[in-house]
Amino acid sequence: MSLDLTRVVGEVGEMLSRFKAGLNERQAHLQSAIETAHNQTDLKKLREKIARAAWPVADPVEALDCHYPNPPLPADFTVIATDGSHIDVDRHRSTRCYLLNISSVLLRYGADPEAILDSHPRVYADDSELVIAPDGGEGREQLVEGALLGIKRSVEECKRLAELAAELPAGSSSLALLDGTLVLWGLYQYPEFITETLLDKGFLDCLSQIRKLNKDRKLALASYISYPRSTDVIDALRVALCPHESPDCDRCPSGDKSCEAVAGVQDRDLFSALLAPGERSALFIGQSSVVRKHYGEHRVYFFYLRTDEEIARVEIPQWVALDKDLLNLTHSLVIDQCRRGQGYPVALSEAHEQAVVTLADRENFWALVQDSLVEEKLPNPSSGKSQSKRTRWV
Amino acid sequence: MTELSSRVGEVIEASTVEFVAQCYELYRSPPLGSLVKTADENAEQYGIVYNVTTSSIEPGRRPIARGKDEANEADIYSNSPQLAKLLRTEFSAILVGHRHGAELRYYLPPHPPRIHSFVYQCQSEEVKEFSRAFEFLPMLVGAQLPVPVEEVVAACLRQMSREAEDPHRFLVTAGKELAVLLGNDFNRLKAILGRIRAG
Repeated sequence: MSLDLTRVVGEVGEMLSRFKAGLNERQAHLQSAIETAHNQTDLKKLREKIARAAWPVADPVEALDCHYPNPPLPADFTVIATDGSHIDVDRHRSTRCYLLNISSVLLRYGADPEAILDSHPRVYADDSELVIAPDGGEGREQLVEGALLGIKRSVEECKRLAELAAELPAGSSSLALLDGTLVLWGLYQYPEFITETLLDKGFLDCLSQIRKLNKDRKLALASYISYPRSTDVIDALRVALCPHESPDCDRCPSGDKSCEAVAGVQDRDLFSALLAPGERSALFIGQSSVVRKHYGEHRVYFFYLRTDEEIARVEIPQWVALDKDLLNLTHSLVIDQCRRGQGYPVALSEAHEQAVVTLADRENFWALVQDSLVEEKLPNPSSGKSQSKRTRWV
Repeated sequence: MTELSSRVGEVIEASTVEFVAQCYELYRSPPLGSLVKTADENAEQYGIVYNVTTSSIEPGRRPIARGKDEANEADIYSNSPQLAKLLRTEFSAILVGHRHGAELRYYLPPHPPRIHSFVYQCQSEEVKEFSRAFEFLPMLVGAQLPVPVEEVVAACLRQMSREAEDPHRFLVTAGKELAVLLGNDFNRLKAILGRIRAG
């Protein structure tokens, strides 16, 4: 039976009424957030208070309301980007395998414009590829599927990006772009050796390779988050508003809830008010535990950027953040990419187009696997549940 | 031996009567009416280009207008270098003959070209040789095409006349052949003759 929309029309209406009723309050909270951001004159004191807070919030490197105009573009420059899609292991099928389709895009602008758009699909079916096992250990191995496959995909995207970057000519000015965040969030739920394999020896190793290429060229690296929902900076404002010296919401003495003055506001709302088109915000340092523990020289900084269409969040490793040239290159090239791409970096949008695996592609892939099994006269059992989904009856 | 420089594309769709080729370079299609050929190990098949299209490589992604703030068309392509990779030019050719051994045969080949066969634009000598006889004209004039056949016939004859030693005489002879073929269809004959005079 398909979804009966008529039964939810009323609930949608009620949701909108609640949304409308909260508009004025949200506007007041936003105004309060803007004022709080402008009022933080003692940055050192604020950073100390943030360091004492019981939960991680954005650590501002400079005044919260700083804003920088779009720097000029170099005459010749290149943007590289990668993205990926996957077909996950299907436990209802007899063959255990997954597919990763990693795209790569190179766009060169200036005197000698050029574009390379490509994708590399690969099937992983070897026992050693289907699990991640600890070095020399047995029994605790983790199946590469679901969320873990998503993390592995991010690592493969970054590997491909490092390969692309290595091919850039000496003396060039380039930006390597990834979609989403630089922080591999999902790792905390897995044993430590997974972090070691995928983060230390995988993702971060690729970032190091990209950094090393800066010896003879200017190569920045950034990830782009469109329409971010984060509240890291607003949380820093909450800390600023908190009357207690060591803010800890879980042990907040009842009564004073000054921080509620900015409740419900998101970072993008604040920067939409603080930034003019083309401008970037102040730099902030992300405070997640995985970054603090593992990222080292790649510690994640971020800033917000006002493109012509939206407020975006751009994450960069520390070595980009602390190098003024690379920081400016990131700023100007991301804005330029958004302008060329109707509001979203064109290199990322083409990387997505190259990587995308459609529903039809998935079906064709499994049909290919199945046909190959039949051709080789190999048994091809599948689960009753999967059969029932494919043969619907009344 | 066919020169590499005349290779213009590759067959991506084929049937007994026609084939579609994708050009290697955007907009570098042989002109309407030109003689092209494709070859496999058994035969060379000749076709006349009757339709050229340029479109997005993906049906779901339509090109959008980009030039509002650009000074000229070339700037659009250099400021968005990916465009040349996301668009493709294709041409359709109607089969009008084939070569078996050394012999030119002005009728359909026994097999259609294979997918990925290379397609060449015929050079001067080959066009001259092919157009020595007008036996390909009945197939072309009688073809059911999604474009006006008279335009294709006229374009083909104009192209061929440029390679003839005496272009005027070539077109007069072709006109006589057409008069026989279209003796009972004066309007079509007139339409073609009116279009080959410009040769």
